[in-house]
Amino acid sequence: MVLIMTLAFFAGLIYHAVNLMVHSAEWASMPTNAHLSERAGLEFAGTIYDRDGVVLAESVDKKRVYNSDESIRKACVHLVGDDSTNISTAVQTLYRSELTDFNFIYGLGLPDSMKQGRDITLTVDSELQKAALHALGDYKGAMVFYNYKTGEILCMVSTPAYDPANVPEDIETNSAYEGAYLNRVLSSAYTPGSTFKLVTSAAALSEYPDAENFTYHCEGAEEIGGKEVVCYRVSGDVDLKNALADSCNIYFGHLSLMLGKEKMTEYAEKAGFNGYRMVDGAQTAKSVFNVTNAGENDMAWAGVGQYTVLETPLNMAMISAAIANGGTPVKPYFIRKMGGAFGTSVTEGKTELDSRMMSQAVADKLTELMDYTVTTSYGKDYVCSSLDVCGKTGTAEVGDGAHAWFTGFCRDEDCPLAFAVIVEYGDTGYGVAIPAATAVLEKAAERYKH
Amino acid sequence: MVEMAAFVLRLITPLLLIVIAFLCFYSLRYGRRQEHALIALDDENRSIRYPVLYWENSLGRGSGSDIRIGDITVSRDHAVLLRRENGWFITDTGSKAGVFINGVKTNGRQAVYVGDKITLGMTELTLRRADDPTTANQRQKIKEKKERKTVPCPAILSVMTLYFLVLSGECFLNMGNADVLPHTFLLIAIMWGFYALSSKLFKRKSFELEALAVLLSGSGILLTAAHDTRQAYSQLVAMVLGMVGFCLMLWFIEVPDRVMKWRILIYLVTIGLLGITLILGKNLYGAKNWIIIGPFSIQPSEFAKMAYIFVGAATLDQLQTKKNLLGFIFVTGICIGLLFFMSDFGTALIFFVTFLVISFMRSGDMKTVILAVAAAVLGVMLILFIKPYIAERFQAWGHVWEYAQGAGYQQVNTFIYSASGGLFGVGMSKGNLQYVFASESDLVFGLASEEMGLICALAFGFIIGGFMIYARALATRSRSTFYSISACSAGGLLVFQAALNIFGVVDLLPLTGVTLPFISYGGSSMIACWGLLAFIKAADERTYSFRRRKLRKPQPENEQPKTNAEEAVTQVQI
Repeated sequence: MVLIMTLAFFAGLIYHAVNLMVHSAEWASMPTNAHLSERAGLEFAGTIYDRDGVVLAESVDKKRVYNSDESIRKACVHLVGDDSTNISTAVQTLYRSELTDFNFIYGLGLPDSMKQGRDITLTVDSELQKAALHALGDYKGAMVFYNYKTGEILCMVSTPAYDPANVPEDIETNSAYEGAYLNRVLSSAYTPGSTFKLVTSAAALSEYPDAENFTYHCEGAEEIGGKEVVCYRVSGDVDLKNALADSCNIYFGHLSLMLGKEKMTEYAEKAGFNGYRMVDGAQTAKSVFNVTNAGENDMAWAGVGQYTVLETPLNMAMISAAIANGGTPVKPYFIRKMGGAFGTSVTEGKTELDSRMMSQAVADKLTELMDYTVTTSYGKDYVCSSLDVCGKTGTAEVGDGAHAWFTGFCRDEDCPLAFAVIVEYGDTGYGVAIPAATAVLEKAAERYKH
Repeated sequence: MVEMAAFVLRLITPLLLIVIAFLCFYSLRYGRRQEHALIALDDENRSIRYPVLYWENSLGRGSGSDIRIGDITVSRDHAVLLRRENGWFITDTGSKAGVFINGVKTNGRQAVYVGDKITLGMTELTLRRADDPTTANQRQKIKEKKERKTVPCPAILSVMTLYFLVLSGECFLNMGNADVLPHTFLLIAIMWGFYALSSKLFKRKSFELEALAVLLSGSGILLTAAHDTRQAYSQLVAMVLGMVGFCLMLWFIEVPDRVMKWRILIYLVTIGLLGITLILGKNLYGAKNWIIIGPFSIQPSEFAKMAYIFVGAATLDQLQTKKNLLGFIFVTGICIGLLFFMSDFGTALIFFVTFLVISFMRSGDMKTVILAVAAAVLGVMLILFIKPYIAERFQAWGHVWEYAQGAGYQQVNTFIYSASGGLFGVGMSKGNLQYVFASESDLVFGLASEEMGLICALAFGFIIGGFMIYARALATRSRSTFYSISACSAGGLLVFQAALNIFGVVDLLPLTGVTLPFISYGGSSMIACWGLLAFIKAADERTYSFRRRKLRKPQPENEQPKTNAEEAVTQVQI
């Protein structure tokens, strides 16, 4: 008995040691830890670079110093983070123990002269970041552009942003800064509106070989399931191609009803709905497509991305990326390179395929449809004069206004970007979201197109 | 530069600690004399030889008997054969058939000599020396194992001196002043002084156990000194008092029969210590367990723990009596009851677990049943008393992070700062857990973890556990069941208390506010721990070997063949 007691005591000690080892980084980085200054260990942290080696944040004389350009500081704040850990998906929050090179062996006990952080290089381009920030202007919103062949995120901006070198005192109270700690690309889910028609189209094209030839007569408004479904214009007789270009709600409402709850849910889930995504350790908000209790009218609206459908901008960009990449999206990432522990090895961001959303044939057909949509409804030059962009806008009704969406991709060898742009209360995709995307696309063409 | 030097010292500290602990336990393990039978009981009719291995051996038919005799006329617990300073004795422990020596029925404890015929029921046993070739075919070959070389104590103490110097050197570098140096020098001087006293005056051979206790006490004192030099002085004084208590205890328990004579007084002292506390005690920090006399505040419950071991332990012949057993249960019940009235829940739990250990150590056949019933009754009592506590004190147990600003504050900070310390610590005096309440007593494991690193903190735990393993290894070879029981229960008490303390602050058990043996700040606790250590020390037969030889000196060293079993003892002893 006494021996068992002693062995149990030893086992407890070992359990504690293992427990401490597993949680040490988390526990040591608690904000109440008096060993850490206000900068919570960042005084010796490594440098964060953008893809071209521009310093976004570094530690000089026990102080964390951010880029000298205020616009870049603001544009990158949701990626880089600030001294605190308020932005949960930022590199300085997620990778703080790596940046400070915290390890269980030394804890915080290393002499200052031996403290050396690990550097992190991001995939983003600070010039594009800046362009995106300016394009969003005073709007709240989010933009993400990523290379659909490699997965590198070149631009990820969320507004309202703030200056990490000079955090506004009223950030918690001023409504202009509402949600400033959120990276809306990852952490916000919005009603997708008409951009969701891409998913409905993919479902129809996958289920029915002749879906392309389905036609329907649109009168601008129609009663479905006892309530009206309305369109922005009267389209008359439309097939799939023109329905997408016209963004005809009645056509897609009927398509959704024809497919039914089960099939719609199946294809939505293939496209990443009802799930989270992980981007370099950051968990996104959940994209939702739940029609369990939907009536006939609800089901029609769900098919055009209204009802209770919600989607993160990141997922939206991934759907476009899937279409551009033959049906399977590449996983997006923002950490290009990170120094290893003890200054040893280096881990690099890798190109990884996500699960297939649609067949190659469906993706090719959708590319054709999105190309046609841009050509006939928006105008290729209006979207981008120097890149061949295929896309789809969305105007998501949210009761007191409408969010403006634009998603798509560039067919370009030098600039293979898939993107999603959302401007909160931007009213129309055409009027607000496309110009915002254009600013970044033109900048990207300038920098990457030979 | 200074920082780097301190860092290098921090890397050395755990290494030294592990080396010292290893050397000490290695010596304790292999420094012992090889055991073999000194005498044997021969059943000449059946040609069976029973080697007598222990100082106290039970004889009987029962499966728990040390010497098991397959004869239905022998009772389950028939008799006890004991070795004492002046020879071998046999006591009838309530057998039906009685015990006869050379045909004469015994009454009480009676001496036996080599060649005597002992009759138990139908079985007749002859007492012989183990190397007596009378029954040649039964003769056991005694294999002498090679004795392993152990490191001499002065070498171990030198490493310890280095360890203390490294610790205080780090304090010096970190604090920028020499505040801790006087403590260090006093500590080293006391350590060598105690060793000189033990080896020269008391002629004790081994010092490893005391060395380990000094190692733990000294580490605690230096940890305290790094934050509060005054408190550390009082802790040093407590350590010296503890050493004095240790020596007094060793003197008192040298003769177990003397302890047995005084047992009624010990019962009263145990109950009295707790009773006085209940009446005169001051409520400090949530439990009414302090008595304040002038500038001193004392925790009598710490000393009651020591006295309680006396209550539970007994010599084998006493152990079998119902009176002793009932006394033990009765005192246990009163003690736990008193502790509940004091709201000293931690100590109550310690008493309860010690009770279980002692019960286990004592249990024969019938006794197991009685003790099991008593344990159940006490367990129910315990649950009834705990109930109101669960709501108040234990609400944070298992969810300390949800109560980070309230009941879980101490545990959460222990986690944060242990994690900050890593394996080698942030440096003596540089910790932040020192600003949390009770950091040097209840949270000392966390403080050690933060400042000295996890390796050192774990090493302290393992050393305390090592005491228990050592005590258990002694149990079968000690001179009396009194020593076996008291050593194991003292070891068990220390380990359980350490578990309550350490697991309390790391949220594996509810936080009860008991001290970490030897290391925590607290004079009463320090003295009591040294007292408990004396029980373990006493169980090692080497402790009193010199004294026994001295007693034997007046006897002339003659050449005539020795017939008395007691002399056989002397022969092997040398």
